[in-house]
Amino acid sequence: MAKHRIFGYCTPWSVKPGDHMQFMVSAEGVTEARAMLVRLIHGDESPEGPGFVEEEVPGALPDLLHVHRQFTQKGSYAVAAGFETRDPASGGSFTIAGFICPTAPGKRRQTMLGRWDIHHSRGWGLGMNPDGHLEFWVGNGHDVDQITAEVPLVPRTWYFVAASFDAATRSARLVQLGKVGRYNGRHGPVVPYDHDSIVASTLKLAPMPAGAEVPLLWAGASDWNDMRGRFVATLYNGKIDRCGIWQHLVQEDELRAMASDGDFSTEGALALWDTTAGYTDQGIGDRIVDTGPYGLHAQGVNRPVRAMTGWNWAGRDDCFRLDPGQYGGVHFHDDALTDCRWAPTVEWTVPQGLKSGVYALRLTSDGTEDHVPFFVRAEKPKAPIAVLMSTFTYLAYANEHLAYEAPIAQAITAHTPILTTRDIDFVKLNEFGLSTYDHHSDGAGCCYSSWLRPILNIRPKYRSSAMGFPWALPADLSLIWWLENAGYDYEILTDHDLHAEGVAALDPYRVVINVTHPEYYSEAMMDATEDYLTRGGRVIYPGGNGYYWVSGLRDGAPEILEVRKLDAGSRAWQAEAGEGYLASTGERSGLWRSRGRAPQKIVGIGFTAEGMDRSTHFERMPDSFHKRVSWLFEGIGDTEKIGDFGLGLGGAAGIEIDRYDLELGTPPHTLLLGMAEGFSDNYPLVSEEITYAFPGRGGTQDPQVRADITWFTTANDGACLSIGSIAWSMALPVNNGQNSAARFMRNALDALIRPGPLPGAQWAGQEKLWR
Amino acid sequence: MNEPIAPVLHKVGNRRHEWMLRPEGRKTWQRRRLPLIGRHWLTWRGGHNPRTLERERRLADKRPLWWLVGLAGLVATAPFLSDAMLQIAIVFCVFAAINVIWTLIIGAAGILSLATMATVGLGAYAAAAANVYLGVPWPLMFPVGLLVGLMAGGLLALPSTRIDGLYYALLTIGVAEICRVSISQIRALAPQNSSINNVDSFIPQDWFLQRPGLLLGFASAFVLLLLALLLFRLVNSERLGLQLQAAREDEEFSEAVGIDYKRARLLVFLIASGALGVIGAYYAMLYRSISLNIFSLDQLLLMFAMIVIGGMGRAEGAVIGTAIVVLIDRALIDLGPLRIILIAAVVIIVTLTTHRGLADARSQFRAYRNRIKSERRAARTRKGGEVMPEEATEIADKQLIAYRRFDKRLRDRLKALITPELIEEHRRAPLGPHSDALARVMNYFRRGEMSDKYAILQEGDPGSWTYSVMALSGEPGKPPRVVDDRHYGSRDEAYHAVFLLRVNDLLES
Repeated sequence: MAKHRIFGYCTPWSVKPGDHMQFMVSAEGVTEARAMLVRLIHGDESPEGPGFVEEEVPGALPDLLHVHRQFTQKGSYAVAAGFETRDPASGGSFTIAGFICPTAPGKRRQTMLGRWDIHHSRGWGLGMNPDGHLEFWVGNGHDVDQITAEVPLVPRTWYFVAASFDAATRSARLVQLGKVGRYNGRHGPVVPYDHDSIVASTLKLAPMPAGAEVPLLWAGASDWNDMRGRFVATLYNGKIDRCGIWQHLVQEDELRAMASDGDFSTEGALALWDTTAGYTDQGIGDRIVDTGPYGLHAQGVNRPVRAMTGWNWAGRDDCFRLDPGQYGGVHFHDDALTDCRWAPTVEWTVPQGLKSGVYALRLTSDGTEDHVPFFVRAEKPKAPIAVLMSTFTYLAYANEHLAYEAPIAQAITAHTPILTTRDIDFVKLNEFGLSTYDHHSDGAGCCYSSWLRPILNIRPKYRSSAMGFPWALPADLSLIWWLENAGYDYEILTDHDLHAEGVAALDPYRVVINVTHPEYYSEAMMDATEDYLTRGGRVIYPGGNGYYWVSGLRDGAPEILEVRKLDAGSRAWQAEAGEGYLASTGERSGLWRSRGRAPQKIVGIGFTAEGMDRSTHFERMPDSFHKRVSWLFEGIGDTEKIGDFGLGLGGAAGIEIDRYDLELGTPPHTLLLGMAEGFSDNYPLVSEEITYAFPGRGGTQDPQVRADITWFTTANDGACLSIGSIAWSMALPVNNGQNSAARFMRNALDALIRPGPLPGAQWAGQEKLWR
Repeated sequence: MNEPIAPVLHKVGNRRHEWMLRPEGRKTWQRRRLPLIGRHWLTWRGGHNPRTLERERRLADKRPLWWLVGLAGLVATAPFLSDAMLQIAIVFCVFAAINVIWTLIIGAAGILSLATMATVGLGAYAAAAANVYLGVPWPLMFPVGLLVGLMAGGLLALPSTRIDGLYYALLTIGVAEICRVSISQIRALAPQNSSINNVDSFIPQDWFLQRPGLLLGFASAFVLLLLALLLFRLVNSERLGLQLQAAREDEEFSEAVGIDYKRARLLVFLIASGALGVIGAYYAMLYRSISLNIFSLDQLLLMFAMIVIGGMGRAEGAVIGTAIVVLIDRALIDLGPLRIILIAAVVIIVTLTTHRGLADARSQFRAYRNRIKSERRAARTRKGGEVMPEEATEIADKQLIAYRRFDKRLRDRLKALITPELIEEHRRAPLGPHSDALARVMNYFRRGEMSDKYAILQEGDPGSWTYSVMALSGEPGKPPRVVDDRHYGSRDEAYHAVFLLRVNDLLES
């Protein structure tokens, strides 16, 4: 492992001159770092292309930064501030009760609810011991005593649990009652488990309340370290539904009544957290509402997952919008991370006149280097071309662990992973959270990804370790290099701008170019693209698997993307039954296609296959000779191979590929200009196309495994050119930008940036042919 | 040679013979605790039977049960023993008590002291002298013994901080010998044969060596043993003992977390020495006299034999060892000197066959059984064998068993596809396109489990990258390991190197 390490992140990602930005940097082994603002032009270091190209912007940022180690709190939990002064453990009797569904009991201690100071052994906590048994423990600063349930908790099973402590007699009581329904857990009623356990015992000691700096926590307990200070440890994996704390001993029959109908008694209640409160049609936030007398709401940290089924989920209502009362589950993960919460190292205002582009803060120190990328838009759009950087996709893939943790990854990519020492460092550090392609430690899919953390795989030189070539932003820079090299006047936009501003963000531009893999789209982005095309906008979609996943941002929190992978599509995980709706927006997630909006409806083509063994080239199709479009192929031979080269596996057609399909909504007047076929069986037809599975759905046998180039016009001189391949843009820089793929792009762009009728538009008559 | 080994499938399945409770979840389980230390009386393990999912509650630690059976059996049979046997039982109780305390010193504190009997003897002489010459009444002999024991312990403890192990043991033998010689020289203390007689006792004079006296003697010795066991439990299993246990496992770590194990060690030594002094006082009362015999080397070695046979460090070891040696030494008195040889033989057999005495025999047997089991399983797995019925009982996810069978048969088919031509085909184009045969082989490799799956490390600058082969850990936060020190100049060479490694793994299995 490297001795010196430096990592950074910034917020926000998309800025205009005059906007304020923050850079957060953490370093180990060094105290100073050189900083430089750079404009990123090309990322991939492959010797077949232009290599890494950046342009320094001296003087824009302070030259020397003082840096230090910043710590990251992993794991989601919730803090109920204000409870400290009301802790019943200071001499009184009390009862805690609630519904829980642990997903990874055992191995280590986990705290579900408590005001427990690990470092000083003070306070009380309800949780699980390392053997996976429910446990209630108290500490007086010197000794700890506990009462433990008899049978271990079974993963993904709901329980009603309660613990009470009688201050007069020091007797404690622990109640654990299984709540197995027909739908709510992994097992149904046929499994002859007796989950119940009621234990009573006199404790050796009474709890001494933890210090004022220790809040009441859901899903964790407070610990202390000389270097870090206070942090949260013994994090919990699993769901917690409604729970409450009472300042007296709640009798067992009363507890049983609560367990059977979930109606918590308000008498003597100190806090009654109702996890089902706060749902709207638009989803739910991070605050867990306390309906008790003191309003001790718990604030979620690192986005505990809401909109999850609760203990009483009856299977009929599959969304919280139908019955929020069944959606009390709040899922906590010990490895969730949506915000590193580092202190800003640099506060910065984007200087006036800074050219729109992809920029980065370059940090160098003692042989280590880090680029912290961000996107600068034009203050007032002037260029005819906008490049829409797919920041949603960058978030979705941020810090993916596919090469290390997904056993099927090599079968999908057909590659043995290629790692660098920086990758290995990253695996070892294991500190910067997951992507929406990863699983949490309890096996649940990760549905949140945020930019408030260092993201290794948006570094410009980064090559995806699973595939050995650049992915997303580093790959997209090939398009930027080509635009620069070809001398086009372009500006940068991001998904986040499109999401926030809608079609107004696109309107100033004559042409909007997508990048290689615009896979994640919100409804606002879909709408805006449609509206833009309808009004006469021109879209070039030179990418693969775009407009695919329904994803969303919570209003006011653009830094965290949410997606739930549902029943169809190439999905790294699959949401549990009833948990397919976005907590951020209230929408059904999954594929846009499953919601009646296949990508074909907007850009004419949609995802059909993926493979990472090798790419191939496009060939012209008969439609390309029609005068409406033949101008696109000027300088390209009738049977010329288009793009039989490239930085993306040696061809312009490949990696993820899209196809034309009228059934899925490709506009009926769409022309099929080109196609690429001859893919190997490592390109299987995507799963959403498979109704019956039968042999021969790979590239060597299935006619749907191909990449298409399509063209259709829209009203008001609008048009959409789609080239269904991720590898396309990565072919453009080959031979210093002089090649057949680049020629095609040039033909297209030169025409599309001209206002007025499109070339060939007049050739709309009926053909009367002799041949 | 390459013939698959036909699996031998044994029927497995045991009848339930273990005693266990079938609790009902809805009933409250009242867990009572021991007074003072607050621990639960018994350690239970609750759970679900993996075959039926029925609730079970079984004793996680059955030792309290065995203690109860053993000690209650002794008490119950004592009134029916002959006088001679009763005397043996008394000796057993006293020596067992001494050995239990000694075990604290050797086991818990980890100090190899052989001055145990010297401490007992000093306590006994001091208490007897106080009674006979100073007229101290017998109940006050106990505090005298305690005081002398503590003093002796304090003196012996000092050098233990400076020297270790064998040297300290030799030193303590020396101390014992000095005690014996000194006392034999002090005429004033013990005029007759260096022994003090007519010591007052809790056994009335006219009951001495009579049946009621023997019964009372046994009762008192039994209580003494119980007290010794209680002391052992309090010291060994509470804070002090746990600190020392941590220190035995890792001295530096325990020091780092703030355990002052040297202090704990000395404290245990002092407590034990005090207890030995009390036992000395009791000893003098029990026999109404005390003689130099108590310091003798052969007595010490006999006690050492008890500890060795039973096993150091555990109370049950001390008691079992004492029982065996006392029985041979006292009950087989007719054998004469032969019984010493017999004891020596037992010591030799026990040390040769067990790691840590008889008390450890059960866990040693279990470890042996587990070793044999895992050896056989490893051998089968190496040969690509299937899961045996006796192994299946321990695999909760039965799909893994199906995978193993499927995998074995798939590998057998794939092995037949590996030819030099196939390898050459891969070398020419590692990323394809591939023939059907190679595609099948590649897909098998790619689908393998994550742990130890190969990856390629790329190092150096763009344009002069070099590649080497690594293996992934499959665990979050655990980095990949280096497989060998070979470096490859191109990515295709590295891909092919991984392929060759995988072919090798396949053919070897």
